[in-house]
Amino acid sequence: MDPGPPLIAVSAAEREAVVGRWLARVLATYPEQTSRFLAREPDRFRNPVGHALREGLPLLFDEVSGAFDVARIEGVLDEIMHIRAVQDFRASEAVGFIFFLKPILREILAASGATLEALDRRIDQLALVAFDLYMKCREKVAEIRVNEARQRLFVLEKAAGRRM
Amino acid sequence: MSETVPKPDELVQIDYRPPVRDWMHTPVQFRRGTFCYAAAPKNLKYLEMPNPRDWQPMDEDWKLPENWREIILEGMRERLEKFRSFRLFMDICVRCGACADKCHFYIGSGDPKNMPVLRAELLRSVYRRYFTLAGRLAPKLAGARDLTVDVLKEWFYYFYQCTECRRCSVFCPYGIDTAEVTMLARELLNLVGCNINWAIEPVANCFRTGNHLGVQPHGFKDSIEFAVDELEDLTGVRVEVPIMKKGAEVLFIMPSADYFASPHYYTLLGYLLLFHHVGLDYTVSAYASEGGNFGLFTSHEMIKRLNDKMYREARRLKVKYLIGGECGHMWRVIHQYMDTMNGPADFLEVPVSPVTGTRFEHAASTKMIHICEFTADLIRHGKLKLDPSRNDHWKVTFHDSCNPARAMGLLEEPRYILRNVARHFYEMPENTIREQTFCCGSGSGLGTDENLEMRLRGGLPRANAVKYVRDRFGVNLLTCICAIDKATLPPLLDYWVPGVEVAGVHELVGNALVMEGEKPRTTDLRGQPLASIQPPEVTHA
Repeated sequence: MDPGPPLIAVSAAEREAVVGRWLARVLATYPEQTSRFLAREPDRFRNPVGHALREGLPLLFDEVSGAFDVARIEGVLDEIMHIRAVQDFRASEAVGFIFFLKPILREILAASGATLEALDRRIDQLALVAFDLYMKCREKVAEIRVNEARQRLFVLEKAAGRRM
Repeated sequence: MSETVPKPDELVQIDYRPPVRDWMHTPVQFRRGTFCYAAAPKNLKYLEMPNPRDWQPMDEDWKLPENWREIILEGMRERLEKFRSFRLFMDICVRCGACADKCHFYIGSGDPKNMPVLRAELLRSVYRRYFTLAGRLAPKLAGARDLTVDVLKEWFYYFYQCTECRRCSVFCPYGIDTAEVTMLARELLNLVGCNINWAIEPVANCFRTGNHLGVQPHGFKDSIEFAVDELEDLTGVRVEVPIMKKGAEVLFIMPSADYFASPHYYTLLGYLLLFHHVGLDYTVSAYASEGGNFGLFTSHEMIKRLNDKMYREARRLKVKYLIGGECGHMWRVIHQYMDTMNGPADFLEVPVSPVTGTRFEHAASTKMIHICEFTADLIRHGKLKLDPSRNDHWKVTFHDSCNPARAMGLLEEPRYILRNVARHFYEMPENTIREQTFCCGSGSGLGTDENLEMRLRGGLPRANAVKYVRDRFGVNLLTCICAIDKATLPPLLDYWVPGVEVAGVHELVGNALVMEGEKPRTTDLRGQPLASIQPPEVTHA
């Protein structure tokens, strides 16, 4: 499916303001010392969580305000959901950061009426994509647990197969 | 009812910021997936360790002995006198924060108590309360606190959440060995029977049969013979593996996972081909059938007891020296503890390679060299016939396993070997390798499946660097020289970086070795077709 036209024109300053505030609120879901570290450490290898959020959130906002290409969204959101799915969050907390966008957009963008409703719908849809990805991650964790046990008895199984 | 239902706007006003509370007064919550299960009483009884009982960390009542506090404090006093390093580590930290963001568990979980400085503070606060004047007189001012059951639970949670990888120590200006702080905290916990099964069961098994998995001598022999048969099928060469041969030149000791688990097993095939290739006079032993030493994750006494069996077996078999396989923490024990615990091993000889004549002076006291040292020396002297194109299907990177890298400085040898046995080798970013390598997140007895979620958090920094080289260079193989790595990196990568497999360095050596009398090799040691004989890829213009 070809991405559609942008939903709303966003200036560079507005984009920066939205993304900055969103990032700050997401970082605030971590304990205080940690959110400072996640915000400040620029090195992507020393700070993979901060890096994923810094890179990912602006792209997600671009999709919400722009073309809303689900395939691209999944690509970006996947990394963030992999992280939040194994951190110390409940499912609602892991996914809930998407909804932070709603009040922020109201504060910063001069959107109203149908455009605002359309933005809200997209954010809801974004949250559903996030939830699907979250579930995939949790299912993967369960699958890994089962496979891991088998690898530890690899030679035993292999030898039994050979002797049969 | 309508008044009580929040409007959508109100719903998004929820404050997700965690409640701000003083770290000292935030008790631990044991959430499934983030801790290891308690040691089974049968294992503690077998080892004659204190307080064997049925309990689990999520239970309210830990069934501690009545005088548990006295036991811990007496244990602390005894250790403060015995280990000057312990007192130093308790006193000297100025909380500069250099270590704070260096722990993989902190980076991956965001839990501030995983900052090494704060983790150690869990112990220091109790030390100050009972062993310093300031702490006794003005506990609050001195950052001291009482030892309570909640504090004990916190110790258990966080000290069994440190993999003793020592990355933080690299950055400490005072050289505090934070892994030793964890080791001592675990020793104290062991005094009241608060230990984890994944560490204690291997120790008990080691006592009983000589290895972590509890494999008995006939099972050991079976596994080795199975590997010999498989190698013959794969290469057409039948190798001989002497078991407990008296008077052999070398006793070779590997981690038990090498002859039981995947992908370790292919590394074993690599060792066997290598020894056959150079005609090494060696033996393996069903008694010293474990390189790993989970005593390191239990207590100093236990390290000593488990390490001892290797040297006793070397003495009994009358070998000249030892070669150790691709094992991680075995090398911390050998390089940093063995000599003062059970050494010097004067009844053995300084290792000299029978093929090249190289004398390994650095092992003059322990008489034990790493297989990578042995192999790199062989390659350096042109003693191996290698066809690196047989590893062309792999784009390889190397994970410095914590202990060989940071505890023995084995940084160049594995890389030298890899560059000679494979043609596509790519390094991960500089601040994630060598001394700064990121742990797999599962070392020190934490690699158990009930702890998977925590392991995935701790392994994120390592996986993140692997992802970078996968995306940039198409890397599809992560090599390493540690059995715990080989067991726990595959699930880690399956979650974070699908498409990258894990192998030992000597698996690639085995692939590349051109053996005398071999049949045309069409597969690697995993039975996968070699790239050179694969049909060319069809490309469309």
